[in-house]
Amino acid sequence: MSGFGATIVPLGEQAWTVVLGETVDRMLHQRVTALAARIAAARIPGLVEIVPAYATVTVFFEGDAEEIRRKLVALSHHERSEVIPPPEAMPELHVIPVRYDGPDLAYIATETGLTRQQIIQRHSSREYLVYLLGFVPGFGYLGDLDPSLVLPRRATPRTRVPAGSVAIAGAQTAVYPLATPGGWHLIGTTTTVMFDPAREPAALLKAGDRVRFEPVA
Amino acid sequence: MILLEKAPPFATVQDLGWPTGRAMGLPQCGAMDPLLLGRANALVGNLPGAAGIEWALGPGVLRAGFACELTVLGAGEVLLDGEPADMAHPVWSLEPGARVTVTPDRDQRFLYVAVRGGIDVPVVLGSRSTYLPGGFGGFEGRRLKAGDLLPVGPALHTRLGGLVHPRAAPDAGAEEMPIRVTRGPQWDRFDQAARRTLLESRFRISASSDRMGYRLEGPAIVPSRTATLPSEAACPGAIQIPDGGAPIVLMPDGPTVGGYPKIAVVVRDDLRCLAQYLPGHEVRFREAG
Repeated sequence: MSGFGATIVPLGEQAWTVVLGETVDRMLHQRVTALAARIAAARIPGLVEIVPAYATVTVFFEGDAEEIRRKLVALSHHERSEVIPPPEAMPELHVIPVRYDGPDLAYIATETGLTRQQIIQRHSSREYLVYLLGFVPGFGYLGDLDPSLVLPRRATPRTRVPAGSVAIAGAQTAVYPLATPGGWHLIGTTTTVMFDPAREPAALLKAGDRVRFEPVA
Repeated sequence: MILLEKAPPFATVQDLGWPTGRAMGLPQCGAMDPLLLGRANALVGNLPGAAGIEWALGPGVLRAGFACELTVLGAGEVLLDGEPADMAHPVWSLEPGARVTVTPDRDQRFLYVAVRGGIDVPVVLGSRSTYLPGGFGGFEGRRLKAGDLLPVGPALHTRLGGLVHPRAAPDAGAEEMPIRVTRGPQWDRFDQAARRTLLESRFRISASSDRMGYRLEGPAIVPSRTATLPSEAACPGAIQIPDGGAPIVLMPDGPTVGGYPKIAVVVRDDLRCLAQYLPGHEVRFREAG
C-alpha cells in the first residue's frame, strides 16, 4: 500500500487519497504539489480529477479501481526521484487589495496585544501560499500567517459572512468568495472577485499560487 | 416553455452536476436522486443528463406553454387538467395550456419532472445544475418560484433505448435494506466499538438536512485518535464525524474538502436511496461486500 511514507486509502468507490503526512507545512505541501504534477503527467486513462490538499492528493476516476491504485502506488513510490514534471498550469502571484475595516480587528487587537496598524502591517507584509481550494468554489486556504496573529476560530460561527470578506483563523487567511456561514475572524474586505462562473478560469486562485494583500484606503 | 403556475416550497433545475471542478472548490451538485432523473429523462427520450426539475416539500402546478411530452417520477399524485394521470404509463402528451398538478409522495423526498428536450437553461461551466449557495447555474441560480417560464430545448431526433420503467414501490411493511458503505479514509482512526456503532445502530435523518448534507441522530461515534485533520478532499456520500460524534453524510452540494474524519462512504448507488429519506426516517448501514 505504501511508497516512501505514502499511504493510499479509498474515498468511496471512485476516488483514492494518497496520504503523504498529517501536518500543515510547506515542505510537505511541496511533495503534494510534485506528486499531483506527476500524476497529471502520467495521463492515466479514466482519471477524472486530481484534488491536492495540505497533506494529500485525491484522485477521482472512472473505471477499474485496482488498476488506478497500482499506478498511484508506482507514482508515489518514485516520489523521491529527481524528475518533477512542471505543473499543468504555472503558479501565479496575485495581489489582492484589502480595505482593512473588518469587524473583528478590535477583538484581534485585544487578544494579541497588537495595534490595528501592526495587525494590518503583519497581515499584508507576507507572501502567502495557496495550500488548497475548497469549502465553497474559489475559497483558497492561504498560509502561513504571522505567528503573532494565530488565533482559534470564533466560538460561535457567524451565520452569514459577506462575499469579499478577508479573514484569518489558525495559521491561515482567506477571502470568502460567496456569502456563507463562517467561523473565521473578519479583518477586511476586497473588491477582487474570487469566483466568477462566467470567467475562464472561474476561480482566481489555484493550489500552489502565491497571494499578497495590499492595504487600500 | 413550461410555466410554473404554483411553485412548491423547494424546486430547482438539476442535471447530473459538475463532473469536474473539485480542484477549485466547486461541489459536484446535480440531482439528489440521479437515477430517478435519468429514468424520467429516458421516458421522454432525453439523454440521462438532460436537465429536469427537482421538486420537494409540497404540491405545485405546471402549465404547458406549447404541445410537449412530459413525465413526473416519484410523485404521490399527478393531475392533468384535474384528472388523475395514468401513472402506469407516465409519459403524457400535453396540449398547449394543459395544467399539471403535482403532489409529492409521502415517503419520498424528491420527485423529478422531465420534459422532452430537457429544461434548456444556460450551461454554466459544463452543467445546467443549480448551486444555491453560489447563486449560479440552473434557473437564475435560484429556487424556482411561481411565474417562472422555463425554456425547453430541442428534442433528440431519435429516441434512445427502450422505455425505462419507473421503480416499483417497495412492498408495504417490508424491512428496508441497510444502506451500504465502504470504509472511509479515516476508518483506522475509529476503534472496534465506534465501527460497530456505525454498522449496528439505527440512526434517524435529522430535520436539519439539506442538499449539502444529512445529519444523523443516534448514538455518538467517537474516534479513538485526534479528530480533526488537515483539510482533504471529501465527496458526496462521505460520512463525516464532527467532534460531537453525530455523523453527517455529505450530499451533492456539500463542501469539496473537510477536516473531519470520514469513517465510511455511502456506496454511490445507495446514496440516492438515502437522499430520498425524509426527516425522521430510520436508517441502518452495512459494509458493502
